[in-house]
Amino acid sequence: MRRPFQRAWTACAAGLLASGLALSAAAAQTAPSEIKIGTLYASSGAFAVPSQSQLQGLKYWAAGVNRSGGVFVKAFDKKIPVKIVAYDDQSSTATATTLYSQLVTQDHVNILMADFGSVLTSVAIPIAAEHHMLLIDPTGSGANFFTRKTNYLADISIPTSAVWPRVLGDFILAHKIKRVAIIYDSNDFDASQATTLKATLEKGGVKPVYDHGVPTSESNYTVLIHTIAASHPDAVVEFGYALNDIAFFHALSGSGLHFKMTFSIFPGQLLALLEKNVGTKALAYTFTYPVPPLVVYDKTNLGPNTGTFVKAWTAATKSAPNALDTAGFNTGLIMQHMLGTAPTFTQLAFHQALIDMSGKTTTLLGEFKINENGAQLGEQLPVAQVVPEGKGLKFVIVYPPNKATGKAIYPAPRN
Amino acid sequence: MALLEYALIGGILYGIFFSLVGIGLNLIFGVMRIINLAHGQFIMLGGFGAYMLARGMGLNPLFGIPLAIAGGIVIGYPLYYGVVPRLQKSQDPEMLSFILFFGIAQMIEAVAVFAFGADQRSLPQDALGSGNIGVLGQEFPDSWWVACLVSVLAMLGLYLYFSRTRLGFATRAIMADRDEARATGIDVDRVSAIALIIGIALAGIAGVFVPYLIGSVSSSIGDGLTTTSFAIIIIGSLGNPLGTVVGGLVFGVGTMLMQTYYSSWSNLAPYALLLAIVLVRPSGLLGRAVRRA
Repeated sequence: MRRPFQRAWTACAAGLLASGLALSAAAAQTAPSEIKIGTLYASSGAFAVPSQSQLQGLKYWAAGVNRSGGVFVKAFDKKIPVKIVAYDDQSSTATATTLYSQLVTQDHVNILMADFGSVLTSVAIPIAAEHHMLLIDPTGSGANFFTRKTNYLADISIPTSAVWPRVLGDFILAHKIKRVAIIYDSNDFDASQATTLKATLEKGGVKPVYDHGVPTSESNYTVLIHTIAASHPDAVVEFGYALNDIAFFHALSGSGLHFKMTFSIFPGQLLALLEKNVGTKALAYTFTYPVPPLVVYDKTNLGPNTGTFVKAWTAATKSAPNALDTAGFNTGLIMQHMLGTAPTFTQLAFHQALIDMSGKTTTLLGEFKINENGAQLGEQLPVAQVVPEGKGLKFVIVYPPNKATGKAIYPAPRN
Repeated sequence: MALLEYALIGGILYGIFFSLVGIGLNLIFGVMRIINLAHGQFIMLGGFGAYMLARGMGLNPLFGIPLAIAGGIVIGYPLYYGVVPRLQKSQDPEMLSFILFFGIAQMIEAVAVFAFGADQRSLPQDALGSGNIGVLGQEFPDSWWVACLVSVLAMLGLYLYFSRTRLGFATRAIMADRDEARATGIDVDRVSAIALIIGIALAGIAGVFVPYLIGSVSSSIGDGLTTTSFAIIIIGSLGNPLGTVVGGLVFGVGTMLMQTYYSSWSNLAPYALLLAIVLVRPSGLLGRAVRRA
């Protein structure tokens, strides 16, 4: 008689416990009325143009998902509208530090996303880690961000600088260029680009004949270019942000000097800005990394392919997207997938969702593949050359051979 | 040796231009004892003025010089009579001017972002000549020489103004002692208003060449230029406009030597020099005495 009674009690207690747990879980996971994505942008300063483009891309994505009722959140099994909370950091890391904290502690955003580039991302990383929030890092690729395992950082839309420049190094080695000058900004992004390039070149037996950093705020390259020329390089690689590239090309075209090969990053990302400032002649035959939409991915398994995106963007905004617009949009897509697959609405579940999609996802930026340190190992960029075409310029992908659309013109003719 | 020569000549050219960048700030401080924190923003406006003339109307950017002078009058005159006499009556005009001109700087920057956007703008590379001119075998772009020539002419004009005109004598008298100058019958407000106009105009003229010397002009370059100008005028001598020339040369040569030999530290050079000079000579290289507040 006693046994069935005991069993009934046990069953009853287990039932109560289960329903209690379910209730508390439900209470902890009450669906928010909107998904708040907190981010920063720069309305002024050195990073204003790329930063605003990145935000523009994110807003375009958010408008799209909100038109269809919001983003699907698996943890609540329903669509929830997205709200972007964005503050202006004016390209200042000091301002950005305060504002990232404000997003976390005052606005209580659900997802924290960094501003453009490594400089403005660098200050977000410790804040995100301290508050146990996953930092969605669209374009901060500094290699030193990704040196240890973390659940709180994910590089989404640009490859880490620890692997990104290898293709450039291979290109230089393949063309048997022995005398290479490297001038780079002393910041996380450009310095790690230089470090990786040097390592790649040194493996091929090439030691740079000039290898110097300059302040990120450097705006006059006339004397620097002359000093570089004194080392008689065949190739000059300038790693900087758009502002530096403009100043570099201005100084180079005004100097009367000519190098057989000149490489710079931002012609491949913000060609219109560079062209407007330094003209087509100064950019002709420059080498660069072409970033989607300049590189086209036809087959994707998440979101539109490059062509569809460009058409839709152009129709909506009456202008063609640039690389940072595309990066912002891609970041939105990845977050959408993350929310759509994370079983619980927690930062750790978000991170796990990104890890789970790594290596299985291809977007308009290529293969999404992150490692346990949060570094983006996919989305690799080729090397292209900017070649005159009529009154304008076109990109010819020259390396690696399996992606090449033409042959490199080396040595570059004097303009 | 060739590198050293190149850095020295480049530094002199760059430094002479930066003397022009800083001289307006020093003139305004010397005459009115007010700290024009919007100085860099006036330079930026000069750059945008030249940009509009060159890109919008197809004119040579040098037409930006008369535009900068006109801008100096249009901005300086009402700014003086609207603000400065009130500041002078306050207990601490220097500190109040610091705050007020900080606000003006922010306003100018915000208006510039609204009007021109946040992106960089450049002037046609060949508008000031497409070649290079060499001295001692070291060649520099024509635009550097033109900027240097205009800077020398502007500073020579200022020197002649001080040394050959009645207004210049009156300005110097005010710089020496404002109250005594007033007691001798000098129309302090009129002379000071003209000094403010000249200071703003000189900043605007420097702005015309900013796209050539620092690559581009954008709405956010003002604060950096103000800081650099401060370093230059303190190196030379605060309150002594001609000391700015020495400050500019020290800044230019120091920066270019650092770019040549220790490029990572090149933007530290002016501030390290500033620190060293202030420690050794608190009144600046050409300062004769500690200024009276």
